[in-house]
Amino acid sequence: MKQIDARGLACPAPVLQTKNAIEDENLNSIKVLVDNEAARQNVSRFLKSQGFKVSEQEREGDFHVTGGREGGVEPEGVMVEKQDTEQKKIMIMVANNCMGHGDDELGSKLMVSFLKTIKEMGDELWRLVFVNNGVKLAIKDSEVLPILKEYEKDGLYILVCGTCLTHFNLLDKKQVGETTNMLDIVTAMQLADKVINI
Amino acid sequence: MSPGDLDRALCGMEFPTDPNLIVGLDKADDAGVYKVTDDIAIIQTVDFFTPIVDDPYWFGQIAAANALSDVYAMGGVPKTAMNLVAFPIKEMDISVLRKIIQGGLDKMKEAGVVLVGGHSVEDKELKYGLSITGFIHPDRVLTKKDLKVGDCLILTKPLGTGIINTAIKGGLASKEIIKFVTGLMATLNRDAAEIMNDYPVHACTDITGFGLLGHLAEMVVDSNYGIEIWSEKIPVIPKALEYAGMGLVPAGAYKNREFRESMVDFAPSVDRLIQDIFFDPQTSGGLLICVNRESADDLVKSLKKKGINDAAVIGEVLSKPTGRIVVC
Repeated sequence: MKQIDARGLACPAPVLQTKNAIEDENLNSIKVLVDNEAARQNVSRFLKSQGFKVSEQEREGDFHVTGGREGGVEPEGVMVEKQDTEQKKIMIMVANNCMGHGDDELGSKLMVSFLKTIKEMGDELWRLVFVNNGVKLAIKDSEVLPILKEYEKDGLYILVCGTCLTHFNLLDKKQVGETTNMLDIVTAMQLADKVINI
Repeated sequence: MSPGDLDRALCGMEFPTDPNLIVGLDKADDAGVYKVTDDIAIIQTVDFFTPIVDDPYWFGQIAAANALSDVYAMGGVPKTAMNLVAFPIKEMDISVLRKIIQGGLDKMKEAGVVLVGGHSVEDKELKYGLSITGFIHPDRVLTKKDLKVGDCLILTKPLGTGIINTAIKGGLASKEIIKFVTGLMATLNRDAAEIMNDYPVHACTDITGFGLLGHLAEMVVDSNYGIEIWSEKIPVIPKALEYAGMGLVPAGAYKNREFRESMVDFAPSVDRLIQDIFFDPQTSGGLLICVNRESADDLVKSLKKKGINDAAVIGEVLSKPTGRIVVC
């Protein structure tokens, strides 16, 4: 069994050494030696998050954390978010509750249809951001609320501008998405592969 | 140093007293307060640490925001600052230090504070921080101690910077979350403090190294009241829970738990990971404001109006269990 001596190391080093070892060598069993309580709990927790069964022993002031998992079993629990995914990231920024200019009644219908149809983008749809009049789509009694809630449940990240909600006095009426700020929006724009403005 | 170690180093020592000393070391508050005239008291505080983000300019800003926070937490207005620098001049380019100091300066400017001096030493490990002096009316000092039964507790920034910083150190945090947390830590508590000063606030502190529960413990220890907090209302940084589940919890969180666990009653529904977030040491964390119940919602509304979107009422002061914190 692979053994790592992480004694004398401060967090997060013991977890990182463990992580690197099981990832590089695709290990299914490992023993990690640590010498403090924080490292013991962190290493144990990490192994559990990767699908290992963990046992711990205390020996002469050190802790031996042993983990084993069945080969080929997909790790349960949380995984680190991959920083560089191949997948394209599309951000849609909605700055109005109508689509286009001219007739608002028509624009409103078009917007409903648009928001129902964007699911065709599949997993590439990465962020949906509502600003200015657009925030009115994310509040109580909005026609698209059920569909937005469904998107959110499926893992789409919906951001709603906090300044705008405050401006319209709608902060407590927001029913979907996370309240956001300009820094988040700008960061998202920078990280996105494509930004679509509506 | 951990709260337990600090306690061992200082307990039993006798510190000189002075009738004009309003808040001294014995009170273990955010900053010292000394009355100069009947209308003016000075607030003094100092804080420095090793880099927590890779970007030197942002590190400078965060260190300054963190040091200034103690003055805001006392209800005061910061006026002057002194830099403290420890720098490995032989190994590191001087441009790094320039960027750090520029970051600190820009934050001081934002806070309306003037830099009046500083001190630097050569050190193997880079450290930066500031000593801040502020003013306050001697009758308006906010300590950690004057809580009243029935008061509500308001927190102004989400928790989890210690866990996120551990993930950053390990190279496991996404760029997006790094940016978010950096901005959060560099945000001054000035706006929150200014707004709070218009309300009948009884006590205030800022959440830093001891974590939310460590600072709450300081509020209830040796008191005749207890505190109840509501986990679901407490704002947490996105991803912090996930990283905690991966074992990216800083050693400081375990030390905070060890020191204060005996004062806390967790409801069975409060997950261990959530508990760790409540013990997580914060850098430049938010203000924890204790205000009378009638004003609490209005204060939160005012905070949100000013863009402090995470502000929330997270708990209340109860007549019992005395000297304890209940987390449900």
